[in-house]
Amino acid sequence: MSALIAGNIHKAFGDHEVLKGVSLNVARGEAVTLIGASGSGKSTFLRCLNLLEMPQQGELAIGPHKFAFGRGVRPAGDAQLALLRRSVGMVFQHFNLFPHMSVLRNITEGPVQVKGIAQSEADALGRDLLAKVGLADKADAFPSRLSGGQKQRVAIARALAMKPEVMLFDEPTSALDPELVGEVLAVIRSLASEGMTMVLVTHEMAFAADVSTRVGFMNDGVMAEIGTPEETIRQPRSERLKSFLSRFHETH
Amino acid sequence: MYVWEFAALKPYWGLIWQGLLVTVFYTVITVAAGLVIGLIVGILRTTAPRWIAVPLRLYIEIFRCTPLLVQLVWMYYALPVLIGVDMSPAMACFIALSLYAGSFYAEIFRGGIEAVDVGQWEAGRAIGMRRGKIFRRIVLPQATQVMIPSFINQTIMQLKNTSLVSVVAVGDLLYQGSVITAASYRPLEVYTTIAVLYFVVLFPLTLVADRVELRLGAHR
Repeated sequence: MSALIAGNIHKAFGDHEVLKGVSLNVARGEAVTLIGASGSGKSTFLRCLNLLEMPQQGELAIGPHKFAFGRGVRPAGDAQLALLRRSVGMVFQHFNLFPHMSVLRNITEGPVQVKGIAQSEADALGRDLLAKVGLADKADAFPSRLSGGQKQRVAIARALAMKPEVMLFDEPTSALDPELVGEVLAVIRSLASEGMTMVLVTHEMAFAADVSTRVGFMNDGVMAEIGTPEETIRQPRSERLKSFLSRFHETH
Repeated sequence: MYVWEFAALKPYWGLIWQGLLVTVFYTVITVAAGLVIGLIVGILRTTAPRWIAVPLRLYIEIFRCTPLLVQLVWMYYALPVLIGVDMSPAMACFIALSLYAGSFYAEIFRGGIEAVDVGQWEAGRAIGMRRGKIFRRIVLPQATQVMIPSFINQTIMQLKNTSLVSVVAVGDLLYQGSVITAASYRPLEVYTTIAVLYFVVLFPLTLVADRVELRLGAHR
């Protein structure tokens, strides 16, 4: 049973073709990690999955939400996009918490404003999620008082508050000090073990090998290889992936 | 040595009071109208297509780059001829001051909105919020914080700028001052009093501004 189907996604910024027909089919409960050099298109592809970037060609289906892109296809409206994004959570590299709201309000903003849930009910949900990410005591703090790792855990709780079908993680630990990476990865790991469907862009290779059901290697705007972590990371087929992994091991 | 004689103003306190009310009244209504204009123009300039944004830019630059005094006089003498209607001095002043304030507020709003990180829009979209709601609940509150100091500054300027309406014989504080001077031959006392009155109204406003700024920035 597919949770997410992306077919033949094309995206160019001006003359620069970033995605040259990328497809990905994610089954329910899967955790798929995308790796690749910077500029390979992996983050752009991830952003196409909740349509923060609009593909110029291709198809996307997540649950009942189906979109087609291309010449002559009417672009989806704001309302349709909002509906899709309710069921797709996203965690950003730079957290993007709302600085003028307390931690708890950051988390309840979506449920209250988008789903119309009562504030008291959303507060209870928010506190549960904060406990889950280990920040029960920070409900009333403002984001500026938190460490990077705490901010990212709040951002994860904020995305989970919408009860999404799929979670997208865009380099969730890249902006963190090394000593704070572990706490964020632990939260993501526990989500994966609970069977949350997720697509993850990361440079944490050991983590990817550990939690992913599949690892995809993106290179120059295409999905160059995809398979189990064993296949992709331990037994790379292409020279490109071999050299990417070896360069990676030298620097990490 | 000049001998100050503020007692000479005693018969004119009613006029001075009336002038002060007119000044405050003009400030309040033109700030309100200017804010509405500024908010709409500022938002459109950040989001609207070129064919709307470019004329709005033109409006802003015309009002920012010509003296307010010229705008007032032009509204009073030229505009009525061009569109063939009679314009009272009060109306001409209201239009000119509002458009003038609007052009400055628009730039303040635009700057504030553009200063908000694009990641805030994306975070709002990612939880399924729609444009209008993201703008109202996420972007505008943050933009407002950035804008408050410039906004207060502009409003203080606006109150002082209303003194120019005396040129087309609207009875504001300064206009009453010149009337009283003509009657009492006491220009030093009159204009000193008027300066003090402007100060007494505006200085507390700057204190309020400091307070608000402090409170809004508390969680930073």
